[in-house]
Amino acid sequence: MLRMRFLPLVVKQIVRQPVRAGLAVAGVAVAMFLFGGVSALQSSADAAMEAADPNWLIVYRKDRYCPSTSRLPESYADRIARIPGAARVVPVRIAVNNCRAGLDVVTFRGVRERDFVDEFAPRLTLAPGAVDAWRSRSDAVLVGETLARRRRLNVGDRFNAAGVTAYVAGVVRSDEPEHDNVAYAHLPFLQFATGGRSGGYVTQFNVRLARPGTGETVAAAIDAELAADAEPTQTRSPQAFLLAAADDVMQIVRFTRWFGWGCLAAVLGLVGNALALSVRERVRHHAVLMALGYDGRLLARLVVAEGLMLSAAGGLVGLATAQGVLRYASLAVSVEGNSIAVLPTVAGMIGGFGLTVAIGVAAGLWPAVQAARREIADALRVV
Amino acid sequence: MALIECRRLTRTYAKGALTITPLEELDLDIEAGEFVALMGPSGSGKTTLLNLIAGIDRPTSGTLHVAGVETGSLSRSKRAAWRAAHVGYIFQLYNLIPTLTAYENIELPLLLHPLTRRERHRKVAFALELVGLADRHDHYPRQLSGGQEQRVAIARAIVTDPTLLVADEPTGDLDAAAADSIMTLLSRLHVELGKTILLVTHDPQTAAWADRVLHLDKGRLVARHVPAGGAAPPGASADAAPVASRAAGGRT
Repeated sequence: MLRMRFLPLVVKQIVRQPVRAGLAVAGVAVAMFLFGGVSALQSSADAAMEAADPNWLIVYRKDRYCPSTSRLPESYADRIARIPGAARVVPVRIAVNNCRAGLDVVTFRGVRERDFVDEFAPRLTLAPGAVDAWRSRSDAVLVGETLARRRRLNVGDRFNAAGVTAYVAGVVRSDEPEHDNVAYAHLPFLQFATGGRSGGYVTQFNVRLARPGTGETVAAAIDAELAADAEPTQTRSPQAFLLAAADDVMQIVRFTRWFGWGCLAAVLGLVGNALALSVRERVRHHAVLMALGYDGRLLARLVVAEGLMLSAAGGLVGLATAQGVLRYASLAVSVEGNSIAVLPTVAGMIGGFGLTVAIGVAAGLWPAVQAARREIADALRVV
Repeated sequence: MALIECRRLTRTYAKGALTITPLEELDLDIEAGEFVALMGPSGSGKTTLLNLIAGIDRPTSGTLHVAGVETGSLSRSKRAAWRAAHVGYIFQLYNLIPTLTAYENIELPLLLHPLTRRERHRKVAFALELVGLADRHDHYPRQLSGGQEQRVAIARAIVTDPTLLVADEPTGDLDAAAADSIMTLLSRLHVELGKTILLVTHDPQTAAWADRVLHLDKGRLVARHVPAGGAAPPGASADAAPVASRAAGGRT
C-alpha cells in the first residue's frame, strides 16, 4: 500500500502532464464505454431470460412466424381454462411494427380490462388515475417507460405504429423489460385496429399455472386438446419461446463478449504503454528520487498507483458515459415482439470499474519492476 | 572514529570482457564538519567514490563506514532508508522534477519521514529562506535560472538536515557569478551550520572553498593539500545573514 502523503505526488505527475494523461484517459474511456455497452447488452439478455416467469405458459398458433401472425380464436380461452392445472387464461393480441430483430420495435399488447387489472397492473408502477384514463377511451394505451422515452411520447399524445393509431393515456414503469417496452391496449380495440378478419381472434393465450412445476404437463394437455382443431397450438414456457425467438440475437450477444475482452485488452495496452513510456522518460528522475532515499519498492508503488489512477479515471468516464447514453437512448433489442432492454446495471458498472482498476494495476506492474530494479548510478548517467 | 572511514575501498565494473577499476584500495578518513573537495581528471574515480560514500553504490571490496554504519553491507532498501536519513545529494545538472514546483521538489525527501503537513511546510519554508528563494516557491524549474535551480536542489538536499552533503560538480553547469553564489551558500552551510560537505569538482577555484582538497588519479589518492584559507575562499561574498541561529528545522 502507498502512504496517503504520496498520493498528491502521483496526482501531480498525472495532471501536470495533461497531454499524455489526457490521451491515456481518453483511450481508456473509449474502451470502457464500449465495454460498458457490451456488458450491459449481455447482462440485459441474461436478465431477460431469468425474468421469464416459470408459472406461466404461452399458447401460440403452431408454426406461427411471429406473435402477430399467430391467429387463434378467442373462444379457445374457455377450453384451455377447463384443462386441469390451468388457473387462469388471458387472451392477448400482439401487434408489432417489425417482427424481426430491431432496436425500435413498437409492440402493442391488447388485453381485456379485468386481465390487465388483475395480472399486469401489479407488475407496473402506475401514476394515480392512469387506469381510469385508460378505461375512459377505447383507443387508449398505457405506454411502458422505455418505449415512451425512445419515441418521446407523453400523456395526451397520439401516435401511430404497426398500422395502429393510439392515444397515450399514461406512461407506466416496470423493472421487467417485458412490460417496460410495450403499449397496453384494449383487446377489442386492437382486434379492430389491426384490420382484416381479426375480430374474435387473438395472437396468444397466457396461461397461469395452478401449481408451479406442472408446465410441461399442462402444455402438453393444451396442445393435445386443440390438436385436431383448425388452429392447432404450440404451448411452451415464456423462457422457451424467448430462447427460441432470440437465439440469433443471443448468438450475436455471446459473440460481443469477445469485443468486451478486446476492450479490456485495449485498456491494458494503453495504460501499460503510457506507463512504460513514462518510466523510460523518467529514468533520471526516478534515479534522483532513489538518491534522495526512495527505495525501489516505493518507486514501484508510485508507478503502479499512477497506472491505477489513469485507468480508474478513464474507466469512470467511459462507464459513466455508457450509463448515461444507454439510459438516454432507451435501447431495446426486440425480436418477435419480445424485448431485451439494454440497460446497464449498477452491479455491472461496479464490476466494470473494478476490472478497470485491476487492469490499471496489472498494466503498471512491469514498468514498476523496471523502475525499481534500475541501478541508481547507471540511471544518473542517462541524459 | 571519523564520520567517513574508507579502508582498501575498491570498486570494479565488468564491461563486456573487460574489468574496469575506477577505484582501487583507497584509504580515506573525513571528520564530521569537514569540507572536502575531490579533484582529478575524468575517469579518476571521483564520482564513483562520491556515490559509494553517498550510499547509492556498493564497494566491490574493502570497508566503508559512514556515520558509524557499514553502508556496503546494507540491503538496497536499508541503504535507501539510510540515505534518506543521512545524505543530501546535490547534482551537477540540478535534477529537479520538472512537473513539481520549487516547494514540491524540496518537499520530496520529507515525504519519506513521518511528518505532518505542517511540519513539512515549516521545514520547506526554512530551506527556501536559507537559499534565498522564498519568493520563488511556486515556480517550476523551467521558470528558474540555472543558479536558482541549483539553489532549489541545495534546499532539497539540506531540508532533512542530513549528516553529510555530497555535491557532484555543483557549479559545473553554471556561469562564474552563479557558481560563486552557490559556493558561498555551501560555505555558509559548512561554516554556520557545521555541515560535512564532500564535493567533486574539476575547477580549482571551486576546490579552493574546501578545507581540504584530495586528488585522485586512476582510482587512487595521489595528493592532498589544504588550500590557502580553506572555507574562506577568495572573493567569497559575505552578504547573507548568519543562518545558524535560524536552523530551527531540526533533525527529521
